Amino acid sequence: MIVPRRVALRSLFALAVTAFTGGALGRIATRTPSGEPSGAPHDPLAFDEMYGGRRILGFAGPGGAPVAFVDGRPLHLMRCADGGYVSPIDHYESCPTPLAATRAAVDELGAARLSRFAAAHGDHTEPTGGSPRGVHA
Amino acid sequence: MVYTRKNQRDLTGAERRKFVAAVLELKRTGAYDEFVRTHIDHYSADGEGRLRTAHMAPSFLPWHRRFLLEFEKALRRIDPTVSVPYWDWTRDNSPASSIWGEDFMGGNGRRADLQVMTGPFAHSTGRWNVTYAMSETRFLTRDFGRPRDPVALPTQAQLDEVMRERVYDVAPWNSTSASGFRNRLEGWAPGQGNERFRIHNRVHRWVGGLMLGGGSVNDPVFWLHHSFVDLVWSRWQQRNPGAAYLPAEPPPLGDSQYRKVVARHQPMAPWGVTPAELFDHSRIYRYA
Repeated sequence: MIVPRRVALRSLFALAVTAFTGGALGRIATRTPSGEPSGAPHDPLAFDEMYGGRRILGFAGPGGAPVAFVDGRPLHLMRCADGGYVSPIDHYESCPTPLAATRAAVDELGAARLSRFAAAHGDHTEPTGGSPRGVHA
Repeated sequence: MVYTRKNQRDLTGAERRKFVAAVLELKRTGAYDEFVRTHIDHYSADGEGRLRTAHMAPSFLPWHRRFLLEFEKALRRIDPTVSVPYWDWTRDNSPASSIWGEDFMGGNGRRADLQVMTGPFAHSTGRWNVTYAMSETRFLTRDFGRPRDPVALPTQAQLDEVMRERVYDVAPWNSTSASGFRNRLEGWAPGQGNERFRIHNRVHRWVGGLMLGGGSVNDPVFWLHHSFVDLVWSRWQQRNPGAAYLPAEPPPLGDSQYRKVVARHQPMAPWGVTPAELFDHSRIYRYA
């Protein structure tokens, strides 16, 4: 029971990573050597760099929400009411931009890789219902 | 029968051993990791346009009160003499404090990878493998005092200031609420660096490692920390008997917090219990 679910999740992940990074790389490829966008709309949330030995990549996803990856693994960036961002790795480091929040997550990660939980936590929306993951304490 | 939660510094050696043994047994059965998972699933930030129950919201205090009660109930099924002790970080505010002893919470993480190497929750004991966390790290991590950006634990004077608040919470019911007991105790503040994180938040930041993120429940000191946060709320309630949970009614359509916070008589996931139902704990437990 557990193994097939994990396999299924991994496959979904791989698909998501491929889809998202593919889109981002496409966008980056349209930039001129000077780094200025050529034709494509400028994405203020876009970044793609090596930081702390990790490849970090980000861009504006559907609805303008920031999407970030560390070594190809999705990192959920949470927007705060003060306009800053926190990551699931560190709720107590508020950062002005998605790039800063991603770097802060790398600072805390050490040598570890992101887990699948870093992709989307706080994943429940119904005021009266339980978690969609079926968690019970 | 009303039971007592004690200051961890006053526990006898036998009481420390019994608490640790019950926690380890809960971990062995897998039930501990379900608590970790519940906390992960209920963390949403306040700029995301979603309902917030556990953090950055008025229900921060009742949500964690119930979370602790569920944990304590599970512990007491294993050993009915156990309760969740509290860590008064205004007094026991050093890495040398007895809370970090080898027979209790264990010590700081080592420099290289922040791995906790001492005590019953060290990975090398074979009994504390981290299952659900935001990274693939399998061992408990800590980084006392955040050496790269040093921070101290909250002081009694800072806590006294919070205790002077007279209203439970104020609009906009989130991390930017400028006054009100809940946000002052939760510890979201304006400013830069460490100043932004006070009281409850600062303790998470001081312990560091897994306590920083969504997997903070993996560090058993989480429970002792939140037991003290709950004590502070309890004392504040005693001092302000007329100060009920706010908001009393759900924010109306058109309000920026419409359907984003839990009002006094609305149920909180995952238990379906309301903040009002958790306001009085005196028939279940008391603090010594």
